[in-house]
Amino acid sequence: MTTLKIPSPLRAYTDGEKQIEIAGKDVGEAIEELIAIYPALKIHLIGEDGELRQFVNLFVNNEDVRYLNGTRTVLGKEDQLMIIPSIAGGSEADVKIVKNRVDYSNLKTNQSLIILLSLISFIFDINWIVAGLAFSLILGSILKQPGFAFVNKLIFYPISLVKPNIIADSSKPHLFAQSFGAVVVSLSAYSLFAGLVVIGWSLLAIVVLLASLNLFFGFCLGCSLYYWLHRNENSKSEYRFSGEK
Amino acid sequence: MKIQIESEIMNRIQIIGEAAYPEEAAGFIFGLDLNGQRIAKEICEVRNSKENGKRHNRYLITPKDFFQGEIAAEEKGLEVIGVFHSHPDHPDQPSEFDKEWAMPWFSYVITSVEKGIAISSRSWRLLDDRSRFQEEKITSVQEKLEK
Repeated sequence: MTTLKIPSPLRAYTDGEKQIEIAGKDVGEAIEELIAIYPALKIHLIGEDGELRQFVNLFVNNEDVRYLNGTRTVLGKEDQLMIIPSIAGGSEADVKIVKNRVDYSNLKTNQSLIILLSLISFIFDINWIVAGLAFSLILGSILKQPGFAFVNKLIFYPISLVKPNIIADSSKPHLFAQSFGAVVVSLSAYSLFAGLVVIGWSLLAIVVLLASLNLFFGFCLGCSLYYWLHRNENSKSEYRFSGEK
Repeated sequence: MKIQIESEIMNRIQIIGEAAYPEEAAGFIFGLDLNGQRIAKEICEVRNSKENGKRHNRYLITPKDFFQGEIAAEEKGLEVIGVFHSHPDHPDQPSEFDKEWAMPWFSYVITSVEKGIAISSRSWRLLDDRSRFQEEKITSVQEKLEK
């Protein structure tokens, strides 16, 4: 019998056993026997091509079987066979997704301040706050970033009140939603200064409602509208619907 | 799924990621897994053995380093419960390449390092069918005390 040593990440599939005794005459037979005893190991040891996965290394008495006779390396009674993985990874494969990433903390801060400033402007009847809100959202849309992202950058991040939450996602739907909001808030400000008070506050109420839906329930109506308008282009894309997390 | 990582350990993981920037850093997480209660006790930085010119988006821990890591953990009465690594200028999410090479059961703590500053870390585990990673919540005793 040959002793076969199991590495820590695979012990969850061998009932916690660190090593087992195997009767296989060579390395290939030993691995087959191991898989026969613990079938759940197979997917982690053998790839779809039927070969050992690239991170699986087999050592007989500290010698890599690649430098012996591979899986045909003969095993003796006193031999020790070890499965030792190579651990590897890296970020490159996600280049396509990484180009599209969004700091959700900036979006949340944006939505929070839109709601807060709108409520303050309504409660204290200050039209200029609505105008300022419209200006910030328009500027953000031109600069292609959330209008109040600067608050996180200059205040919340430095004092660690808020942490960045960068997620692979497309920024376009969020910018579209903000631009839509900027238009509605601008119309609201114009109406208020023109004396159309009911229309002005009603338009602002719509913006507050939509921002609240996004902030509290993760549903971005503007994003959904963007996806609907671009439904044919996006049929093969990896973008996901905002709010479908 | 949860893993308890104290802020002191997490800070060290992030400092290692920052020090290695613009290359990827990697290392082991030593700890205990008691019936699913996973606790990180120590970390052990390991040399990134990937060849020159590829370490900005790849890391490699050789079988020899893994073997030594397991022995070091056992000598401390612990086991290797996971691996940490950094993603320079990339999100703290596993890539397709991470998935291809991932070991099951391990906790993979990934730190996003943007322009040399570690900005966030998240932990992931590969599902048993190897189809995808699932995020596991990072908790700390400090967090529980504050609550």
